[in-house]
Amino acid sequence: MKKVLVVDDSLSVARQLEKIINESGEFTCVGHAKNGAEAIKMNHTENPDIICMDMNMPGMDGLTALRSLVVLDKDVKVVMVTSLGGVGDKFTEALKLGAKNVISKPFEADGVLQILREL
Amino acid sequence: MAVKFFGQFLVEKGLVNRESLLQAIELQEQKNLKLGEMALSMGYVTQADIERAHNAQMSKDIKLGDMLVEMGILTLNQLNEVITRQKNTHLYIGEALVLVGALTSDNLQKYLADFKADQAQYVSEKIELPLAVSNSEIWEMTADLTFKMITRVLDLPYRPAKSHAITATGTNFMMAAMDFTGDVEARYIISVNESLQKAIARAILREDNVDGESAEILEDTVMEFANVVCGNVAAKASQMGKILNINPPVTIRPTTAGLPVPANYSGICFPIHIGDGDVMHLILFVKD
Repeated sequence: MKKVLVVDDSLSVARQLEKIINESGEFTCVGHAKNGAEAIKMNHTENPDIICMDMNMPGMDGLTALRSLVVLDKDVKVVMVTSLGGVGDKFTEALKLGAKNVISKPFEADGVLQILREL
Repeated sequence: MAVKFFGQFLVEKGLVNRESLLQAIELQEQKNLKLGEMALSMGYVTQADIERAHNAQMSKDIKLGDMLVEMGILTLNQLNEVITRQKNTHLYIGEALVLVGALTSDNLQKYLADFKADQAQYVSEKIELPLAVSNSEIWEMTADLTFKMITRVLDLPYRPAKSHAITATGTNFMMAAMDFTGDVEARYIISVNESLQKAIARAILREDNVDGESAEILEDTVMEFANVVCGNVAAKASQMGKILNINPPVTIRPTTAGLPVPANYSGICFPIHIGDGDVMHLILFVKD
């Protein structure tokens, strides 16, 4: 089963994603980081296959963390989760920095799992 | 389910891959000249003129084209010619995807029709504002998108009442606020009573009962609803040519006097009747 790390400052979004991931039977959530700096630490300790990360967080934001993660761990697959997915410049910036895809909010369980399966 | 741009829709549906989209965006960046580059290619300005105008923009916050006119480098007619040429030669993302071989022309037409059908739910309807504010089309769209997200995200029936100008908000159980910066400045506030907070929490957490949830997580769900609306407002605004940045949401617990509208801002309240008797308030503080 593929391991997924959730990174979001919002407790409720983390809960939503953890529920979708754990109920899928295909993925398991290995932890929840609340900002980019925690994500980098937990990527090292939990060694996830996939990171689902919010873009807009206080402290180290998602795009800054993405820049570090793709340098530190060439195997990790990062998917950004954001309400700003429809802003073309933000979406493009995330892909250019190495994100594998972007999940826009509001999201449905099927849409999230489809994107995770394609990685 | 969200406001999207065409390239994102295609990647999400698996109709083009990430690498092809990046290749098409790169092609757009090469072909679509910025205003200064286009004016240069038309022989109306020199590189030195553009640099002088860029330097002048550091002390005056106006667009490059307006600055070039103000400095007497371009005439207004020349500026209009440059803008028209930019529009007429613009390479759209769909065309770029055809050029890089990721789509056929036939597929492009079909997928554009699918995309328009997907986004039809977010076509803005006319909302009447109670007072004259700058960029009124952005605030009408913000109210309209808030109404639509009450259905899409919260799955609750709603009925908007007439909006009105305010000098202070009323008081309520809690408010979630987000600030817009960029081409426009405003504070977006969602104000709810305890019953509505729980209704929002049930929808966001996808739970039938949230009575055992902590106050922290219940508040977080209202902030998340505001975050989803504001992110989609920013996406819709970018389609209207306006850049809106958003900061993470915050919680406000208003005093009995409510929150006063800050100086140099206009306050608008949109009462929204939800379900059988609760009223949510969308409040906008828009910088004059």
